[in-house]
Amino acid sequence: MKGFDGKLVGSVYPITTEECESVHAAAIRVLEQGGLRCDDERAAKMFEDAGCTLENNRELVKFPENVVMDALGQCPGSFTLHGRNDPDLDCSIGTGEVHFCTVTGRYIDDIHSGERRKATRQDAIDGTLMADALENVHGLYKPVMWLYDEEMICNSQILTTEWMKHTNKPGTWVYNTGAEHEVSDLIKMWQMAAGGEEEMRRKPHMLGHVVVNPPRVIDVHYTDWLIGFCDSGTPLSIESALMGGATGPATRAGMLVQCMAEMYALVVQSQSYKPGHPLAFCSFSPAMDMRTGLWATGTPEYGINGGGIAAMAKYHDVPIVGFGMSDSCEFDQQTAHEKALKNYNYALAGVNWIIDIGGTAGFNLVSWPEMVLENEMAAYIGEYLKGIQIDEDRLSVDTILKVGPLPGSYMKEKHTRKWFREEFFMPTLNNKEFFESWQRGHVELQEKAKQEAIGILENHQSPVAPELQQELDSYLDFCLKRDLG
Amino acid sequence: MAIEINDEYFEKLAQAVIDGEEEECVELVNAGLEAGVDPLEAVEKGLGRGIGKVGEDFGAGIIFLPELAMAADVMKQGTAILDERIKASGADRLSHGKVVIGTIKGDIHDIGKSVVAAVLQANGYDVIDIGIDIDVDTFLDAVKEHDADALGMSTLLTLPLMEMEKVIQRMQETGMRDNVKVIVGGCPVTQEFADEIGADAVGFDAQDAVLKLDGLLGINRPCGDA
Repeated sequence: MKGFDGKLVGSVYPITTEECESVHAAAIRVLEQGGLRCDDERAAKMFEDAGCTLENNRELVKFPENVVMDALGQCPGSFTLHGRNDPDLDCSIGTGEVHFCTVTGRYIDDIHSGERRKATRQDAIDGTLMADALENVHGLYKPVMWLYDEEMICNSQILTTEWMKHTNKPGTWVYNTGAEHEVSDLIKMWQMAAGGEEEMRRKPHMLGHVVVNPPRVIDVHYTDWLIGFCDSGTPLSIESALMGGATGPATRAGMLVQCMAEMYALVVQSQSYKPGHPLAFCSFSPAMDMRTGLWATGTPEYGINGGGIAAMAKYHDVPIVGFGMSDSCEFDQQTAHEKALKNYNYALAGVNWIIDIGGTAGFNLVSWPEMVLENEMAAYIGEYLKGIQIDEDRLSVDTILKVGPLPGSYMKEKHTRKWFREEFFMPTLNNKEFFESWQRGHVELQEKAKQEAIGILENHQSPVAPELQQELDSYLDFCLKRDLG
Repeated sequence: MAIEINDEYFEKLAQAVIDGEEEECVELVNAGLEAGVDPLEAVEKGLGRGIGKVGEDFGAGIIFLPELAMAADVMKQGTAILDERIKASGADRLSHGKVVIGTIKGDIHDIGKSVVAAVLQANGYDVIDIGIDIDVDTFLDAVKEHDADALGMSTLLTLPLMEMEKVIQRMQETGMRDNVKVIVGGCPVTQEFADEIGADAVGFDAQDAVLKLDGLLGINRPCGDA
């Protein structure tokens, strides 16, 4: 799907180009002098092949600057996350468009009872259909985190089956359970959904997440994923995942330096394994909440740091994606303002793929009415990004001279009729009523969102072909028999 | 460092804990021992008062986790030196209990467990933090070695969860379970899961872990103390 591509995308960064140079130089110092620990021989070999030095019995990798720069130079400046069997759903990453993607959660606010409960397989289906139906949701992350009504050993496979059966929109995948066959099974399912192994390599539809264990450790499990993603042609989203004050420094600049050092390491690893493989930097580097020890994803420093990573992405001509999120434990005013501010900040900094719609509380809670509301928030942000278009017709001088002074009105002018739909934003849910009319009787915003969500769940049909659904079910049966007997 | 053992000395000892000044604390403890301080008194009037104040201030939102964690570390350093003398004298110092704590095998997440360890320590528990990715045998060995009253196990991940059950099963098989309370915690841990695997309690956050352990070990505090 075409994302939001207004003139303000990529117009505001929290650091200057000169400051990007300082951050880069500091990150290189970290990599040259300290390096990263690497407990995996496959990864060590990739670093060695790239020109890194291996010390301490091959467990410490040090990175000369030229190795990092060579690897960065191989990364494409853009790539496409394809719609499955539907080019209208293609999302262009790295070309100045902002896309919104759903986020995940362990719990769900039940749309009918209002009860907060653990997510189930049916919720995975519902969440996928919701995301499929909403026009400003361009992609999906796991519709729910885990299916608590299914065995954990095959949880990711069941989740992925339902996901691929109910939408053709592209998606994001992050390591889920660590089960033995998780990597190979999921890639197999994505290939089925794409129409085959070669078709997926040609038209990748998932963004594969790879993370460093901060501070400065290459993770074995994520190396499994990195290999799986690269072999299958799945573009990477690479992330530091540090937590300022705990697994990263307690300054914004220091967090950015460590983030960059760790992401550079993943750039070197992936480009060594598969030169030219597409990737994006990913923003997920919250500070630690200094009272609870939890990650603080709704705070200004989180969004600002994301902007810093976006500045570094622009500096290196690498695409940028990012996780949004609010810290609120319910869908309330806090969720609304934390998300709106952060996501607008992200969009201004040109983050191409914002993973945030429909969830809160640090991957703990999702809600379908909230997904509807945030679909509207995405529309608002998209509209803000347009800025003001300046051209002769829009400058409107002829019309201004024609209409005024009073008693003149623009309401019946052709110029007005021509432009108002494009220039003025028309919300679909938010209240624009007369105060007195509203007081006489109204439907609350939350209720409107709930009714819309119920309508989608009752009426929206999966766009996925029945034959493919059967194929996915058959493969899932195979997985279940293999793992559960 | 030549010092006199008086209220000012104990005050300095407490302040070193509050300020997270490890070197100063160790110097004060050693100097105090040279000057003949009663090690039990040094813990109770000095280090213990310091960590108590830190716990109170943390609870009141005046100080934050880095200050709490540093103070807990300093307290540990100081008590380690004093404990040797206390043991040598055949005495025993006042503690709410010994807790062995670690992140289970298959998981390297450290922070949640470390926060719980620091908060427990600030609330009067002796905490033996045995780290991350801990297997069944290491948990059991640590419980045995330290003669622990309680075992705390943590994880952020789902698949390794059953490691917790394995630890509890082995404790039952070896007869350790009767004398050691087990508290579990971390993102995927629910009350139902804890009940299923036979844990005594779930700590849903650090303060909750203190309250649950207090309950399990019969610790009564003045209202609002934990």
